[in-house]
Amino acid sequence: MLDTASPKTPLIQMTDIDKQFGGVHAVQGVSVDLYPSEVVGVLGHNGAGKSCLMRMLSGAMTLSGGQISVNGEDVDLKSPQDAKKYGIETIYQTLALANHLDAAANLFLGRELKTRFGNLDEGRMYTETQEALRQLNPNFKNLKDPVSKLSGGQRQVIAIARAIYFQAKVLIMDEPTAALGPSETAMVADLTIRLKNEGIGIFLISHDMHDVFDLCDRVIVMNKGRNVGAFRIEDVNKDDILSLIIKGTLPDDWTPRGQAV
Amino acid sequence: MAGNDGKSKLSFLPTGSKLHKISALLTLLLLILAFSFTSTAFLTVNNGLTVLLQTSVIGLLAIGMTMVIITGGIDLSVGSVLALAGVAAGLVIKAGVPVIPAMALGIMAGAACGFVNGLVITKMRITPFVATLGMMMIARGIALQLTGAAPISRLGEAFGTLGNGTFFRVVEMQDNGFPKVIFAGIPYPAVLLIIMAIIGAFLLQKRQIGRHIFSVGSNEEAARLSGVNVDRTKIWAYTASGALAGLAGMVLMSRLVTVQPNEGVMYELDAIAASVIGGASLMGGVGSISGSMIGSFIIGVLRNGLNMAGTSAFIQQIIIGIVVIGAVYIDQFRNKK
Repeated sequence: MLDTASPKTPLIQMTDIDKQFGGVHAVQGVSVDLYPSEVVGVLGHNGAGKSCLMRMLSGAMTLSGGQISVNGEDVDLKSPQDAKKYGIETIYQTLALANHLDAAANLFLGRELKTRFGNLDEGRMYTETQEALRQLNPNFKNLKDPVSKLSGGQRQVIAIARAIYFQAKVLIMDEPTAALGPSETAMVADLTIRLKNEGIGIFLISHDMHDVFDLCDRVIVMNKGRNVGAFRIEDVNKDDILSLIIKGTLPDDWTPRGQAV
Repeated sequence: MAGNDGKSKLSFLPTGSKLHKISALLTLLLLILAFSFTSTAFLTVNNGLTVLLQTSVIGLLAIGMTMVIITGGIDLSVGSVLALAGVAAGLVIKAGVPVIPAMALGIMAGAACGFVNGLVITKMRITPFVATLGMMMIARGIALQLTGAAPISRLGEAFGTLGNGTFFRVVEMQDNGFPKVIFAGIPYPAVLLIIMAIIGAFLLQKRQIGRHIFSVGSNEEAARLSGVNVDRTKIWAYTASGALAGLAGMVLMSRLVTVQPNEGVMYELDAIAASVIGGASLMGGVGSISGSMIGSFIIGVLRNGLNMAGTSAFIQQIIIGIVVIGAVYIDQFRNKK
């Protein structure tokens, strides 16, 4: 149980993170860590600051205060490129796809494969995309349609493929199943476990308690920009978490539930 | 350029854009057919070459404009930048610089204006419409101030070569001692336009910068999150537009063998119209060089044909206005399906 790598250096260590927009404190003094082969759920209301916290880790937003370190090394993530350099990949809730481009163009956007002469290597990008998508969804055929023409599930598959194709070490999944049907949701769950077993650390933002209890090793709960609780998943139940999400405190009679183990 | 082997070439563009291009091409052919009835002199080799020559300036502007429009922006400054580039070249020629370096400097002046546009849009976060509207006035003002609003003439014969020279010109001496032009020759500006259009299409379809231009116009935030350097991409597009405006300025001023600081007024609107007729969307993410070339020629043929039919310049404006609205209407109609 405790061998969940606590003596190792964490993959990600976010310490005392602050984010202000003008006078609004979106995130205040939040500290989180993430170890290899671990899924950490990040929970909270809409507007509790969880997406904001994750956007800072993916380089989409700059910190107002605090420190992020990757593998024990302090880093300054000024842009998404910086984060990707450290192996931090993100599946955004909005999917972040360019609608007029096709699957391959989106998968390799910003990291296009090139031929010897520096031209786009369309052929290689297509075969790689085909391969990457087939692993997630064997029925994926419309490779050359602009992604605006694809279904929500197919778009999600492209967003996921893009994050894992480039050998992520840390994966941030922002509500990865919000737009999906039951079978696709199951596929994402399987994938999450597979990636975890491969040694990837995963932050999972989700509103779905089912997903959280099935997949996460630990959870942190945010309320009004603060971290109001960090637990191993065995120590809490659904009611505890809902209480934290809504009130920001645990039920009065709470004791760690997993102590018997 | 247009999907020559039917696969993978242009396939990341919406399939509908090919449809639009075909309909634009059909319009062009219909126009040519119609005008060949209204005037016997229209469908002749000589007039064809004239149309090529007349369209080359708008065509060059439309290449840059298309790139900017695909990023979701607009460049209103190209007409003024064209004049400023001409003035820059004219002044240094007067100062004794040879023609070719002077023209290179003119093109660089255009590129510099475009670069400033890009900086203002990305770093100062001014919308492209306002930023380039400002540049339109600034560049025109500088051009007029530097010259005192007077044309610069007597620039030497070499200055006129780019705009007036031709390939394959065939002239025969007649018995009476006068030369007879058998084939007027392919004008340099037309060849230049074709070369630049091919380079432009290549950059948009085959190079990373082109892919990034499409992605920025399609979904700027997604492009940024995917690791595309959005600011750099935009600055690149506006700089290219400025440089092409400079090049168009060289062609136009060379054709006149005079630098006119008040030349090129409203050319930006023709260039925008050409791009839009050719299928570019002002919302960004859609457009092609080949489409814009067809659009340029639709405008060029309309102007030329209406002139030959004796239509007044005012009526021409009305007709071109209607064509632009019609083209966008058809485009919307297609997108709704």
